[in-house]
Amino acid sequence: MSDHAVTPSQPLSGCRVVERSRTVAAAYAGRLLAAMGADVLMLEPVGGSPLRRAAPLLEEGGESALFAYLSVGKRSLVCDPALPEGLKALEHALNRADILIDDTALHDRAAMGLTPETVGRCYPKLVHVSVLPFGAMGPKAEWDGEEINLLHAGGEGYLLPNGLSDELFPDRSPLKIYGHFAGYQGGSVAALAALTAWWAVPVAGAQYVDVSVQDAVLSVGAFALQRLGDGSLEHRKTRRFRYGGVFEAQDGFIELLTLEDRQWSSLVELLGNPEWAANPALRDPLERSCRGDDINRHIRAWMARHPVEDIVRRAQELGVPAGKYRTPVEVYQGEHERARGLFAPAVLEDGTQVEVLVAPFKFCCSPLSGGSHVPALNEMAQEMRT
Amino acid sequence: MSQPNAPLAGVRIADFTIHAAGPYCTHLLSQLGAECIKIESRTRPDAFRKPHAVYGRMLAATFDQVSANKLSVRLNLKQPEAVALAKRVVGVSDLAAESFRPGVMNRLGLGFEALRESKPDIVLLSLSSCGQSGPDSHFAGYAPLFGAWGGLGAMTGYSDGPPVEMRHVMDHSAGLHAAVATMAALHQRRRTGQAQHVDLAAREVASAMIGDALVQASVGITPVRPGNGDLGMAPHGIYATAKPDRWLTLAVRNDAEWEVLLQQLGRACRDPRFTTVSGRLQHREDLDRLLGQWLANCDADAMAERLQQAGLCAHVSWNMEDIAADPHLLARKALVEVSSPDIPTRLAVGAPARFAKTDDVGIRRLTPALGQDEDYVFGELLGLNRAQRDDLEAREIIL
Repeated sequence: MSDHAVTPSQPLSGCRVVERSRTVAAAYAGRLLAAMGADVLMLEPVGGSPLRRAAPLLEEGGESALFAYLSVGKRSLVCDPALPEGLKALEHALNRADILIDDTALHDRAAMGLTPETVGRCYPKLVHVSVLPFGAMGPKAEWDGEEINLLHAGGEGYLLPNGLSDELFPDRSPLKIYGHFAGYQGGSVAALAALTAWWAVPVAGAQYVDVSVQDAVLSVGAFALQRLGDGSLEHRKTRRFRYGGVFEAQDGFIELLTLEDRQWSSLVELLGNPEWAANPALRDPLERSCRGDDINRHIRAWMARHPVEDIVRRAQELGVPAGKYRTPVEVYQGEHERARGLFAPAVLEDGTQVEVLVAPFKFCCSPLSGGSHVPALNEMAQEMRT
Repeated sequence: MSQPNAPLAGVRIADFTIHAAGPYCTHLLSQLGAECIKIESRTRPDAFRKPHAVYGRMLAATFDQVSANKLSVRLNLKQPEAVALAKRVVGVSDLAAESFRPGVMNRLGLGFEALRESKPDIVLLSLSSCGQSGPDSHFAGYAPLFGAWGGLGAMTGYSDGPPVEMRHVMDHSAGLHAAVATMAALHQRRRTGQAQHVDLAAREVASAMIGDALVQASVGITPVRPGNGDLGMAPHGIYATAKPDRWLTLAVRNDAEWEVLLQQLGRACRDPRFTTVSGRLQHREDLDRLLGQWLANCDADAMAERLQQAGLCAHVSWNMEDIAADPHLLARKALVEVSSPDIPTRLAVGAPARFAKTDDVGIRRLTPALGQDEDYVFGELLGLNRAQRDDLEAREIIL
């Protein structure tokens, strides 16, 4: 029995998804749907998805932490549509599916029967979502990209780092965001597109949707384009808050940001009402902005004398938006995260028990079940044999 | 109102969201065809209608990109009659969305249970910094704090430097995830007829972006910040080229791609340390220095094109001028031109996906003036006549 059969009250109970994923974007789309109760079947090539071997690994030569995160709650079936038996398995899976998420490279699709035309003709009730680095249409549709390329192709990479990192290392190259931020945005858009197109099926019938990771990065970075239209080309060296940002305290780093006047007043109180902050000119937000470097110098000196926990506790009491830069270990052990049930146990193929973030949202009327296991390669074939 | 040929045509949203994350969620849904009624007041307009001096200029520069398509009505929610009207708007909607601090909607009389009285199968999205429950739920914050709390900030940065603050992409990633969850709740409602309250914590979206590192943490591993490096690929980085501030991003996935790269660069490399991926990873710093020398005099754009033609993953680190001039993004309608009588033609970000059948997605109209759609919402949808509305305005219920 699959894990999904026992949780009919999940938001997407009954939704059947077939996922072909070599990229984080497609795998994350399926992961989001699986977390909300969809029955997600990964069709993997012989030898398994390359994501099974993707860094970071839990130990040298061991299982992939990334794959564990992306595949928990899914099922696995080896299927090579280029072979007759694989094509049969693909047809069987797609005939009973509501949604196909596919990141097969464009030039391989025809041989596998995975062009939009073929899928639309053979499976008229199937929502077909393509997710590729640069999308399936347009002059660069055949271009390939890994995370570092796509974050920069979408404009956000060029804008990082800003603030303290740039001040400390002004001559270094731009920086990517940790991990697979671009891939996750592409995957989220693919999941949104899948659910949206599925919503429209009763009226419009099933359809094909083309998702691009580059587009997704640009979409979440839209404000920089808006600023360009306003006449301002953003750059990492100038895209910084005039005061506030990253500060080093006695025993760690803090983020501090005050956008409202009342927050500024509270910040002054947090700092102990120092003499420099009593300057009447600083009552004007624009003037504060102009004197941001001076203000930050004072804040840095004060932060360096105080421990993180004291600062953030007092800041939150006073209504000053401030928070600790927490490590993954601190997040994993966090009291808040534990109280909200952010993590659930999952078992890897080798029997190792890990904990995995369930989903970054909760459904109050039908809580997500979370957890389950990370599918062994081709486990469905064994299930079918037994 | 006529409905667009869009996948969410017929879905209506009562939108109480403010700032960036929540409005971006409803903006996405409105781009996909939902009718979104934004509820503000003259005394408490969305903060993004106001100037932000913290950016060094007194201009409201960021409102349009999360507010296009939306309808606008004014309601002074400090007044009970305005709250009652807001509940009537919810009563004719499929979805309500809010991004106040936890507790505010309850205090206004617009909490989940109250909204269910108006609409028994309502889907309510609550998007906040830290969620509706838990010891930190009262914490206030913005995008950089979401990244700090969630662990993404600490994992991002130069290996020997401080953490890096996340900016609007963090807000919008939260809004994007909220849109996904909201759609799932709508499907659940369609299937079961039940109401749902979706609770999205923006800091948990930041944590979701380090989901692999959190799996490591769960078995006692302390994840390390990799900077621009990758634990499985080398070369992998961002390299200076002939033009100042024109950087080439490059990711070489395996030994075969390494050979192709050498060919394309016209280089022979007999250094045995770099023959295999494990060797290149082990000697990454020396390798990066070598790549830096090889690429220092190249034209980044020509090189990216050439490497892509050879099947390698390369791209220039683009600024927004590059993006605005990209024929690919324009062909995909990821970039669209918008204009209005008082706004000269300019570019905006279009719909996040291309739909084959329900293709009227994207920006259909620009940011509404405060209260510009009250004839439709208060008049047509709620059935209030002119005299009633004048009276409500006079008593500052509609304000």
